[in-house]
Amino acid sequence: MSTTVIQLIINGLLLGGIYALISIGLTLIFGVVEIINFAHGEFLMLSMYGSYWLFQLYGVDPYVSLLMVIPTFFLIGWAVQRIIIQPIIDAPPLNQIFATVGVSLVLQNVALFLWKADYRTVRTAYSGLSLKTAGLMISFPRLVAFFLALALIAGLLTFLKRTYTGKAIRAIAQERRAAMLMGIDINRMYKVAFGIGIACVGAAGAMLIPIYYTFPTVGGLFVLIAFVVVILGGYNSLIGALVGGLIIGVVEAFSGFFLSPHLKEAVYFVIFILILLFRPTGLFGRG
Amino acid sequence: MRKNTTALFVASLLAFVLCISPAVTAAEKVKIGALFPFSGPLALLGQETFNGATIAADIVNEKGGLWGKQIEWVKGDGVDPKKAMTECERLISVEEIKLIFGTYSSSRSYAASGVAERNGVIYWEEGAIADPITERGFKYVFRTCPRASQFGIMAVDFAKEVLAPKLGIDPKKMKVAIMFEDSLYGTTVGSNAAKHALNMKMNVVATDSYSHKSVDLSPVVMRFRAREPDVIIATSYLQDGLLFWRQAKEANLNVKSFIGTGACHGMPDWAKTFGDEANYIFNIDPAIGINPDVLSPKTKAVLKVFQEKFNKKFGHLPATHASLGFVGARVLFEEVLPGVGSLDPDAIREAALKVNIPKGDTIFGFGVKFAPPEHPAAGQNLLAHPALMQWQEQKMVVVYPVEFGVSKPLIPLPTWDQRAKGETSFVK
Repeated sequence: MSTTVIQLIINGLLLGGIYALISIGLTLIFGVVEIINFAHGEFLMLSMYGSYWLFQLYGVDPYVSLLMVIPTFFLIGWAVQRIIIQPIIDAPPLNQIFATVGVSLVLQNVALFLWKADYRTVRTAYSGLSLKTAGLMISFPRLVAFFLALALIAGLLTFLKRTYTGKAIRAIAQERRAAMLMGIDINRMYKVAFGIGIACVGAAGAMLIPIYYTFPTVGGLFVLIAFVVVILGGYNSLIGALVGGLIIGVVEAFSGFFLSPHLKEAVYFVIFILILLFRPTGLFGRG
Repeated sequence: MRKNTTALFVASLLAFVLCISPAVTAAEKVKIGALFPFSGPLALLGQETFNGATIAADIVNEKGGLWGKQIEWVKGDGVDPKKAMTECERLISVEEIKLIFGTYSSSRSYAASGVAERNGVIYWEEGAIADPITERGFKYVFRTCPRASQFGIMAVDFAKEVLAPKLGIDPKKMKVAIMFEDSLYGTTVGSNAAKHALNMKMNVVATDSYSHKSVDLSPVVMRFRAREPDVIIATSYLQDGLLFWRQAKEANLNVKSFIGTGACHGMPDWAKTFGDEANYIFNIDPAIGINPDVLSPKTKAVLKVFQEKFNKKFGHLPATHASLGFVGARVLFEEVLPGVGSLDPDAIREAALKVNIPKGDTIFGFGVKFAPPEHPAAGQNLLAHPALMQWQEQKMVVVYPVEFGVSKPLIPLPTWDQRAKGETSFVK
């Protein structure tokens, strides 16, 4: 029994690591640019396709493809911010929602047009590979994704703490007007923040492709959970997104095992509602 | 100049003929509605099913047609259930169609057949498998293909009749785990499998449903690992079915047998994704590659003609969906309509209820006999059934019912360790 519980915790944490990585980008964009990026899942889908094609056409291992995916998606994020978000940065929230939902629809349909609705995945030597210790099974690609996610999050936090750009981004997240008065070029910082957010979700996509499948609407499956994680963690806290992701992952593993697999989604949505009722700022959020 | 005048004369004559000819020939044609998803996400298989049906019509037309008239299809595009209803409406009211042939997709069929019934028009379903289509006590809806519930029931029968003796397990002690995605399709198949297994007094250790949109199925894997089933019966769409098998490997979940019931486990993607790891899995679907000895000599000849004509017209051999379309249309054109002499729905209905095609006389091997109006599944072909196949060397071969089989089932399923070591050559 205890092995089962430990196994469930491991499964949950590994899953939570992936949720965290997707949510970090969303949190950053949400916290800094104050835009709800409804196209977040579609960027995940695009990066999954990116890694898929790099593997299929050039034999690039998905983990190696990270080196290409991260900078590319940073630039994509930068461009999206400059071209689509910046003009509507002061528009009413409804218009901003329409803009990002529009981007999401366009990307989905472009993917459908280019690559059809087929499910695509890569078969690497380590697909389905597990490390076996003391009766426990630890999925290798999930473990890699988990540690890469932790490393990326640690790197991102250091960047935000130590560098001028990082400090400026945090300053904007805390108080936009004051940051402007201090001479921070906020439009530039928005572009950097949006770029980093999209780069994070791009990294998540590359790590997911050895585990999961890509198809034009795959983003929706993950991004719904990411929204729950962001709210749970506190909408502008990166640590919150990490902890929130891990909590949701473990909750899913336990409720799926002990209650019923078809109730596991229901359980974390109940948590979502409870958080909104009793602690609307989330676990780590500032009011 | 003279040349020009002649040309002009010929051209105008031609134009005249072209103008009047539809009006003349329309009266001499038998117009049948064809309601399929011809566009949208289901277009590929919708079109393929219809292609199969066109061959049945071509065969009749080449022999002089039905009642001396040529069969003509009038197409309706059922992109989604709502559109299927409006297209059905249009075919009936604008095109004055008295007989609609369709639909391949269950949700579209369910919606459109209601419209046909209300208008007293025959709805001839050849490929949609959801049980409720023929469970509404409708008078004018007929279905030639098997129903979803039969898939679950066949999986249990196979486990009891073939797996249990082969594995040396008493069927009553055989531990069965049932998993299904929780939409209408999975629930219908899965709950019928569970019900049937309990009726057969088998030991059902788990009945787990899950959302096919779930991105993690490790809870299902873990539950199965804890309960150590001998056989898993699974109803999955593609994404969840692939995810489960991958996670089963990661968690080293070993069972003695795995039976899929359509969708995921019968798709080419199954082998494409898993390669040799796809082998040994069973799947239930209507099957074309059955043992030809089951077929009567006449049907063997029909099958050959069908394959040749289809290949010539569409450039590839017909697969399951095209064959379902062909069988549905052939029963209609060769067994029902010739004796009726018109498209009067009540006369067609009467003739359909008298149809009695014995086993071996359709290319699927099953016979055709429609359930009478007082039957709970009125209009359903009670003799239709799917077949059970196994992935052997990344190809699906029919293994059950035994007389339909072209190969013997390979039992048990190798463990993941055996697969990794390449110890997968089992004695047949």
